[in-house]
Amino acid sequence: MPDGSSLRIMVVEDQAAMRQLICSSLRQIGCHSVVECGDGQAALKEFSERPVQLILSDLNMPNLDGLGLLRAIRGKPGFEKTPFILLTSRAEVSIVTQAKELKVNNYIVKPFNLVVLKNKIQAVVGTLT
Amino acid sequence: MTEARSTPSPERLIHIHQGECRISEDPAAVLTTMLGSCIAACLHDPVARVGGMNHFLLPEGENADRSASLRYGAYSMELLVNGLLSIGANRERLRAKLFGGGRLTEALTDIGEKNTAFAEQYLKREGIPLIGGSVRGSSARRIQFWPVSGRARQLSLGIPPVAIANAQTVSHLPAGHGSVELF
Repeated sequence: MPDGSSLRIMVVEDQAAMRQLICSSLRQIGCHSVVECGDGQAALKEFSERPVQLILSDLNMPNLDGLGLLRAIRGKPGFEKTPFILLTSRAEVSIVTQAKELKVNNYIVKPFNLVVLKNKIQAVVGTLT
Repeated sequence: MTEARSTPSPERLIHIHQGECRISEDPAAVLTTMLGSCIAACLHDPVARVGGMNHFLLPEGENADRSASLRYGAYSMELLVNGLLSIGANRERLRAKLFGGGRLTEALTDIGEKNTAFAEQYLKREGIPLIGGSVRGSSARRIQFWPVSGRARQLSLGIPPVAIANAQTVSHLPAGHGSVELF
């Protein structure tokens, strides 16, 4: 079972207010090792330098969107199976289908609550201790 | 010298209810809403000539989780911003006007203030200039926003929140009553 406090999580979200809220939500469920990135491009750079154990990424972002980031991570040798949860404002079938084709691990439709956030993370990485 | 004028196209009124968000690039569109302690954020890109309005109230209650409440507000703002970006707006060009957040009762909790503070903080954090609007105060408001020009108009209703639940009640007010043109 992963230790929530040491699980390295990357939050990728272009809107600063939402990003800070996601990070504070993670802290509330016991996840304190969080890296913040403002778009997919910055996330990819950060990931190349310091890989994380879980990525929570928004869908709509400038430069590189959530699907683009997912595709890039899945194409990284040795990191193809990095747990990836997509955060979307819309549960559109076409988006979910594309994400599934890219082997997304799960997705969360905003606005979400702490229970949903924790359950989705646990469904992907296992029960947090 | 006189300029030939074409007949203006009729305005298309689109009412925004609580929890909704609309964007438009239609020059004939007028987004309207009624506000008490709720907030309506009107965003506009003057170059792309697109705009939009949302209407939200941060959830309150005995068991309200503060971060859940803020996430709801951030979600509403995100929908508006992303919607505008999807029809050609540029984030750096976005300008905002805020309306609402009134204190219409003497309840202990000033919900309007919480909504206003959240919206102002959100815009500041996102770097979206707040160029106008009308927030706080003790009146209900009727707002009209022209998304393509960015023009906004407020009608101060000066009535308690129970009355604004019924749009027909306020439509009996004489035209121009308390009307203020904002930009």
